[in-house]
Amino acid sequence: MTVAVQGDASRAAAAQAAEEQALVRKAQAGDRAAFDDLVRRYDREVLRLASRLVQRPEDARDIYQEGFLRAYRNLHRFRFECSFYTWLYRIVTNTALDHLRRRTSRPEDQPPAPREEDGGKDFFDKQADAGAGANPEKALLGQEIGQQIEQAMKTLSPRERMVFEMKHYHGMRLRAIGDMLGTSEETAKNSLFRATRKLRAHLSGIR
Amino acid sequence: MNAHNDDNNARFSNVHRGGIDPAAQTCRDWEDLIVLAAANDELDAAELARLNSHLAGCANCTAALARENNLLRMLAEHAAEPSGALLASCRASLEDALDREEEHGWISRMFGPILPANWLAPRPAWSAAVLLAAGFAVGILAPRAVVQIAARHGYAGRVAGVAATPSPAAPSTANAETAGNDSSASDTAFESSNSAKAPAFSPGPLDLHYADVAGINVSPSGGGSAPPEVVLHFNAQQPSTVRGTVNDDDVKSVLLDVIRHSNRLDPDICMNALDVLHSCNNDPEVRAALCRVVREDANPNVRLKALQALDGSDPEDIVRNTLVDALAGDQNSDVRIQAVDELRDWAASGQVGPDKRMLSVLRSRVQSDPDDYVRAQSAATIREIAAKQ
Repeated sequence: MTVAVQGDASRAAAAQAAEEQALVRKAQAGDRAAFDDLVRRYDREVLRLASRLVQRPEDARDIYQEGFLRAYRNLHRFRFECSFYTWLYRIVTNTALDHLRRRTSRPEDQPPAPREEDGGKDFFDKQADAGAGANPEKALLGQEIGQQIEQAMKTLSPRERMVFEMKHYHGMRLRAIGDMLGTSEETAKNSLFRATRKLRAHLSGIR
Repeated sequence: MNAHNDDNNARFSNVHRGGIDPAAQTCRDWEDLIVLAAANDELDAAELARLNSHLAGCANCTAALARENNLLRMLAEHAAEPSGALLASCRASLEDALDREEEHGWISRMFGPILPANWLAPRPAWSAAVLLAAGFAVGILAPRAVVQIAARHGYAGRVAGVAATPSPAAPSTANAETAGNDSSASDTAFESSNSAKAPAFSPGPLDLHYADVAGINVSPSGGGSAPPEVVLHFNAQQPSTVRGTVNDDDVKSVLLDVIRHSNRLDPDICMNALDVLHSCNNDPEVRAALCRVVREDANPNVRLKALQALDGSDPEDIVRNTLVDALAGDQNSDVRIQAVDELRDWAASGQVGPDKRMLSVLRSRVQSDPDDYVRAQSAATIREIAAKQ
């Protein structure tokens, strides 16, 4: 029974891959509708990644647009040596890294830092309260926690942040992340360790 | 901080590979493995089994794994999802951008392969060669082409009074006849050595650029006070010559152009031009140009020749001041000698009065000029001026 289900899944995956390949070929031949179709398949994920990497929606939109435009301009260079998803994500992550590095080197472009009004409460107490319901106070508390998380995220380097996001929010394997970022799995792993330590230190410190 | 990280990495590697006896490991050694355990699918079966076996007997690490999972759960719960409005706005912006890209892009797709930027970018050597060729074309060929085109256009409106003479390289009966018939009509003639049928034209400052003068030949006049005949040779794709005397406006214009740009031209050509202009040094335009050469040319031989070309000119202020300045400041003794000689001639003929500045310079030269002749001539000039007073 399990074997049969797995067989069906792999057949479905193969069919999906073949369909995607056909779309990519059409897009490479100049079929704009095919490219639009490819965009619709992945743009939620791309926007989610962009939104988590940068705080402002305008910045996320910039990354989204620049990423897809780069993909469009370079589509003729795609040689089917990896999946379209991997290729697209490689472009988007590089675009996002460029964006993060630019913002790091130009702090005047940063949005105003959120106010730190934690009131001295235990971090995990707040976290437990925040999930309790739709109470406005709790919602406000949740917002504060979100701001503290954002502050903690800002302590990560662009690469650490990228690895952490892709691992924990996009469920990607470290090997794939390393491949996407043009580095080794080991380097990606070390980035994940550093990111985790930093987040732990920043978020545990307010307990 | 880096040392700490290296230390941690080394510990992790050992634990990860099972290189340390589990009994000797501390909880810190398991830290990174716990991070990987919390991140799904990153530990293989053997690593997972080893970690589970450790966790079974270690409350600290079990608690650490729970904290790790809590941290990730908390981060996931507070991770904001992009709104549908933002996604819609992004899609709309991308549509517009792709539309613009498509409009612009069809040109690239059609002509991309032949656009220089596309095939030169990956080939630096080709790029360098193309740049050199472009530089050569713009710097060398274009000015010549412009001169030629200007010459052709100039022909239509300014043939009157100009006789075409046959080219020695490509004689033409028709042109020979024309030259024979019209040579008396004008002293100036244009010759083209490559095209016997090339029309004659009257060269002017716009037609014949100084930079294209390749040489100046001067033939003594037949006698009397007639000026010498001048032949100007021009470099061009179609080499040409202009024949005439300095009294011809076109010839004078080219000669003036030559000395105005004396610093950029072959000194021999400049000195030939200065020689020719000597005969009309009372022409204000020529006089001013000669004075400029005396003051500004970098080559002392050219400055000396310009002073000689001024010899015999009327004692106008501009010339007197030029001579005085040359005597006062020129580093070349031959130039100073020429200047003081001319001043003395003027003084001897009573053409100069007791100009204060001139006297001051002469006295200064008497006292301090390193050249004996200049000192002696300066003293003699002062005496001549005094005698005339």
